[in-house]
Amino acid sequence: MMGLVISAALLGGYYAILATGLAFMYSVMNIINLAHGALIVLAAYGLYVLGTQGIALPVGIVVMSVAMFAFGMLLHKTVLSRASGGGELLPLLATFGIAIILDNLMFQTFGADNLSLAPFVGDLSWASFELPGDIFVGQLSVYILVAALIIIALIETLMRRTDLGRRIQATSQDRATASLLGINTGRTAAIATGIALATGVFAATAMGLRSAWGPYSGSAQLLFAFEAVVIGGIGSMWRVLIGAMILAFAQSIGAAIHPQGFLIGGHLTFLIVVFYRLPTWRNAIAKFRQARVQA
Amino acid sequence: MTRTLTRRAALATGGAVLGAFTLGRSQAFAQSSRTLKIGFISPISGPLAGFGQTDGYVLDQARAALADGVTINGTAYSVDLLDRDTQSDPSRAGQLARDLINNDAVDLMIAVSTPETINPVSDACEAAGVPCISTVMPWEAWYFGRGAVPGEESPFNYTFHFGFGVDEFYQAYISQWDLIETNKTVGVMYPNDADGNAIRAVLVPKLVEAGYEVVDPGAYETGTTDFSSQIATFRAAGIEIFNTFPIPPDFAAFWRQAAQQGLHRQVKIAQLAKTGLFPADIEALGGLGNNMASACYWHRDFPYTSPTTGLTGAALCDGYEATTGNQWTQQLGASLSAIDVAMAALSAAGDPKDRDSVAAALPTLRADSIGGIVDFTAGPVKNVAHGPIIGTQWQAAEEGDHQFDYVVTENATDPNVPITGELQAYNA
Repeated sequence: MMGLVISAALLGGYYAILATGLAFMYSVMNIINLAHGALIVLAAYGLYVLGTQGIALPVGIVVMSVAMFAFGMLLHKTVLSRASGGGELLPLLATFGIAIILDNLMFQTFGADNLSLAPFVGDLSWASFELPGDIFVGQLSVYILVAALIIIALIETLMRRTDLGRRIQATSQDRATASLLGINTGRTAAIATGIALATGVFAATAMGLRSAWGPYSGSAQLLFAFEAVVIGGIGSMWRVLIGAMILAFAQSIGAAIHPQGFLIGGHLTFLIVVFYRLPTWRNAIAKFRQARVQA
Repeated sequence: MTRTLTRRAALATGGAVLGAFTLGRSQAFAQSSRTLKIGFISPISGPLAGFGQTDGYVLDQARAALADGVTINGTAYSVDLLDRDTQSDPSRAGQLARDLINNDAVDLMIAVSTPETINPVSDACEAAGVPCISTVMPWEAWYFGRGAVPGEESPFNYTFHFGFGVDEFYQAYISQWDLIETNKTVGVMYPNDADGNAIRAVLVPKLVEAGYEVVDPGAYETGTTDFSSQIATFRAAGIEIFNTFPIPPDFAAFWRQAAQQGLHRQVKIAQLAKTGLFPADIEALGGLGNNMASACYWHRDFPYTSPTTGLTGAALCDGYEATTGNQWTQQLGASLSAIDVAMAALSAAGDPKDRDSVAAALPTLRADSIGGIVDFTAGPVKNVAHGPIIGTQWQAAEEGDHQFDYVVTENATDPNVPITGELQAYNA
């Protein structure tokens, strides 16, 4: 039982790290980035290529974070800034298109092989801490959870305590007013996109060390990230962590009930949250309560 | 009936005849009747692309060998191989098959690798009355999965499949697992998909009958990211043999979590299927990949020669490695064997351009191929010929460019295949 709780919490950390970039991009730019998964896979390929060149993984993460930050700015300038001028649907379609292009480009470049980053870190991917009571905790999962906490804390600090963060918030709330106040909104939004993609490098590291990926693995990553973001809701980045934890616990409870219940548990929770968030349902629930009070 | 020759008719006929001569007899006639068109459908891109990545090389070899055409029943034919990529999409596979049938008028279809490719292509061919030859998926999922009923006569007249079934897996596993002393407790992880459910329904009862205790925590969904409950079950049951049919990313996640819990120190035989067919799957596991047991439908050590290309298994694989720089995979021989069988079927037909004649020749076909003899007269059902599953192990390579060698450890389903190594205990 204790083991189950611990492993669910650690899984939540993994989902949190997957979802951070997606949530950040949605909360500051109102763009649901459907290419989020494909971009994580792209970063993973970058880390893999650097790894085969003999560059240590921590160095590779730094290099790739800079590279993905630059790529994010480029992506914003070339695609997202234009698309976000065209209503809510256009960025969605644009990022969907980017995902398809990236998937197939990565297939063309890297082939169909399933790759993993685990060979670059020796035994870390399966090393574990032994706790009393015959409980083994994967070291990697603990590090992923810690990394998720640090990244979310950093983003929160950035958003609330720094000048750049305030500029990003102002741009996301009201672009016209922000630019009236002298903020270069295009540049600010580009930086925000860069930050979102740079966090994807940590998601890529977690994914690559935890399992393996191929050129088309992006959509699976996107799914869990998306569910975590929706369950958590937007506002603070800590809500992503909460959403990820709820998703992980729902899946683990599902799996404990029935081995096929893992994904279903997560999806069901996701649906319940979505229905709860729908205004019509909330009104119906409120009316039902009122009726009961009156009765 | 009298016929009046009008000026208009005479002009039209004359024009047609002249036109035909202008186009040239060689083109206008030979293209339509003296060329054998063979469709070749496989997953070159998409999630199943691991299967299709060697097909380009195989097709190059076959095209080079068939460049001068073939002579069947005294008539010379040129051979046109039309390859199509399903992009791993079943509905696209069926669409491509219909397109090849209707627009290219193929004489014969080949479909290779996985139910997602083969079943829709076979269905399209059966409906259109085009002979189809397929390989590389469990024949049960092909035969029963498309509506055949056990005990009844085969409902298929144009579609034929050769290769392994669950029984070959059973024989290979029993033979492989006897090589090492274990407690005969097998943990199994079969996903909730076509392969996994077929294996669970057919293989598990046979293993139990053979004296193995099977620990099955139940089907899991592909894409699951945490396997704590299954691992706990396996640890508690003290399994020493492990068998699974997952996709590679799922297995990498599962096996690392299992190793975190210490399961890898207790398992003596880790028997993979589906994952571990190709070297990249094992390399992705890092240090945990060494001594993973596997089973192959073809191996470079198969002692057979492809009648179409004249290549032996070793020559095919060496050529592939020299051309691409990649390690050989078992798909090379499997795809080439399908072309070998297709050419044999066309040769055995009275008229290779006649679809019914080709279909009629197939049930009695006994064809040589790079994968051994494919014998439709000795199959489990009319439209199916058996193929082997050979037990193997990925062992750390002592020399050469590649990280792992794919070593043959048992040969119960084809004793002609030489055993080249001893099965090593995984936890040794």
